[in-house]
Amino acid sequence: MTRDPVPEPGEDLLGKTLARAVAGLTATGRLVVVEVAADGMTTFEIHRDEHGTALGRQWPLPWITLTAEHGWGEDARQALLRAAGLPAPGSEVIVACSSPESGTALQALEWLREARTAQVFSTAAPIAGLVRDVLVGDPLHQSYDLVVMRPAGAGGRLELAGKLLFPVGARAGTRTELTVRCEPGGEHGTALAVVTRQGREPRLLSVHSARVAPGPYVVTAELVRPGRVRFAGLPGLAADGRTWDDLLADVPDRLPPRTGPAHLICAVEVCGPDVKVEERLGRARQMIAFLSGEPADTPRVSLVAYGAHSFDRSVRDRPVEVVTWQATAEAALKGLDGLEERGAVTQGYPYHPHAAQVEDMLATVAARLSRSMSRSSPGRHVLLTIGDRRPHPGRADRSGVLPCPQRHDWRSLLAYLEHLPGVAFGAICDQPEDGPPHRIWRHLGAQALAHLDALDLQGLAAGLGLAVPAAVHVPFPLLDETE
Amino acid sequence: MQPDPKPGRPAHDIAMWGAPGSGKTTLLAALDIALMRKDDDWRIVGSDPASSEFLIERTNALSTGKVFPEASQGLEHYHWTLYGPGERHRRRWWRRPGKPEPFEVGVGMIDAPGGLFSAGPRRLDYGPDVLDDLRERMLNDLVKSLGIVFLFDPIREFERGDAFDHLHPPLKRLTERMRDLGRLTGGRLPHHVAVCVTKFDDPRVLETAEKMHLLASEPDDPYGFPRVSHDDARDLFRQLCDLSANGNADMVLNALGRYFHPDRVRFFVTSSIGFYVHPQTKAFDWHDYQNLLPEDDDLRIRGPIHPINVVEPMLWLGRRLAAEKESPR
Repeated sequence: MTRDPVPEPGEDLLGKTLARAVAGLTATGRLVVVEVAADGMTTFEIHRDEHGTALGRQWPLPWITLTAEHGWGEDARQALLRAAGLPAPGSEVIVACSSPESGTALQALEWLREARTAQVFSTAAPIAGLVRDVLVGDPLHQSYDLVVMRPAGAGGRLELAGKLLFPVGARAGTRTELTVRCEPGGEHGTALAVVTRQGREPRLLSVHSARVAPGPYVVTAELVRPGRVRFAGLPGLAADGRTWDDLLADVPDRLPPRTGPAHLICAVEVCGPDVKVEERLGRARQMIAFLSGEPADTPRVSLVAYGAHSFDRSVRDRPVEVVTWQATAEAALKGLDGLEERGAVTQGYPYHPHAAQVEDMLATVAARLSRSMSRSSPGRHVLLTIGDRRPHPGRADRSGVLPCPQRHDWRSLLAYLEHLPGVAFGAICDQPEDGPPHRIWRHLGAQALAHLDALDLQGLAAGLGLAVPAAVHVPFPLLDETE
Repeated sequence: MQPDPKPGRPAHDIAMWGAPGSGKTTLLAALDIALMRKDDDWRIVGSDPASSEFLIERTNALSTGKVFPEASQGLEHYHWTLYGPGERHRRRWWRRPGKPEPFEVGVGMIDAPGGLFSAGPRRLDYGPDVLDDLRERMLNDLVKSLGIVFLFDPIREFERGDAFDHLHPPLKRLTERMRDLGRLTGGRLPHHVAVCVTKFDDPRVLETAEKMHLLASEPDDPYGFPRVSHDDARDLFRQLCDLSANGNADMVLNALGRYFHPDRVRFFVTSSIGFYVHPQTKAFDWHDYQNLLPEDDDLRIRGPIHPINVVEPMLWLGRRLAAEKESPR
């Protein structure tokens, strides 16, 4: 924290007395300063607000007004004392006379002295500027905190916290600098809210907001005067009239998933009605194209196509196709071209009408991922399955669905993948014609499950940590974890 | 509707009886195939052109088309004759043992859609006269028959639970008719009854039998198919009754035991299509034995059929009837 030299509130005794009296003001105390001049009287009343800031207000009483209404006798004296607003005995009163040669001023000064014990000073100039300087130079009586959010435990949970900007005793001109991270803040952007505290309860002092691009920022806060903090470092910062409750209403309970380099595996079911296969491939294309345009690192993309098992002896069971593996988005899109051109796989009979090679697809992905992870660091992998059919069981069971010819057991394969580090599951599942989707789709869409007909690409990508969620806004800056 | 069969058909008929969809037609088609797979000289022949045609169609559908024979939609009355090599007569004091007489037994089936006797909402598109006539024919069949093949479909019972509804009304009427004819013996119906618990190939039935430790393979079975012996079949029937959709299946068992002589009732656990056999291993595989494949809204047969316990009930009945013929009550 840096501090500019604060000019002395005044070299004369009045200035020092005023500064001392203001500094000694309690939360409920009141200081009255009366200036008596040749043309009238001005009263300054100073008190502290809920933030401990010394605030003053003033009201003048020109002699011409006083005499016009009350003459210059007893009525005028009482009216003058009422206008002076002298506090109850015990509170401090300071009287300054800036026109000692004026008879009217001296008479008024006399009436005030008779009414209350007060320190009386002579001054050569009006004291309004002096009072303002004293208030500006008053050191903070309560510390000022910037409202931030910070991670709390695992799972991206967030909590509100305060970052100290200015401690008690800080004076105007003090600056402090801190590094924060801004997330998408929604309609109002990121709010730099300054609070003081009454016990543990924060009291909102000021809010300034700016809609800034997500990322780290170095923010400088300057204490302009008690009660006023000026920020620099966030472009477009403007005063924000929201209340504390308004701000709290926008606070999410979780940090949005971090985006970053990832490996997207699109596994598409290519059996069934042509129109559905076409739609599934289209969704895969949309997702890959969407991620290509995201500001985050474009993921490596694998494209896997799987169909139905053949149970006809004369037709060879078509294996799962790995069209691309950890390739560029462009290569995957080219692979989709080929799949779209081919259309639904219908050759051969009898393909199973209700189940597909989901378990073979899982086996293929598990084997490939296992090999990748043994060669390099695990990284993040997202398996996005697009289809609707159920898997074949590993052995004959009561479902009536014929067992996988390869004897793959989808349960154990799924469990294996779920335990691999950094693997997330998303699914785009269309409603099967013969009832609700098989329970495997809950696992395949564990992190994000979307419907084929109502796909929110942004939401799906965000749920899988491939994009920043549009719906989750963080209204306050996040404390940078590296700080 | 066919006229009554020619008078030359065998007298000791076997009547097929069971709820609609319980597999009567499939069992008959499977019987034809199973008989042809047997080494000995068994065959089933239609007693009239319509019955022959019916059997040819259904058997072809099952063996070649790999589809289930169409469920009965019309009101048909069929008769076949089951021919076999026969058995050498036991030596009697009044005659010497001679050449075995060919075994011959008539098999009759009223091929009618379900609901013929049920008390529930009538869904048949036939007038009351036609239905009355059909009921009468079916009762006549049962009255004239000495043996009954009663089919109990545990899967249908699990899903719909209507076996008792299809057994109870005709059983009551049959008893009444037989009493009027003075043919009850000891207050019970005189028929021999082969109770066939069907769909043994369904995992729900097979697994139930496995859990009850009722499965065994016959030593000379090249495929090693699991089977339930007729001694254990009643226990399996009882266990499957507990899975009935409406909980009435136990009454089926009780009714069979009370209206017929218990020593004339035998249980068989059957499968018309049998288990799938992989062409390479040519053996039963617990991991992959289902011989059904869903196709659209229907089921298709996946591989060659290997009927299980389809011939045995017929032969058992045939022998019991032949024995009765030899030693009339």
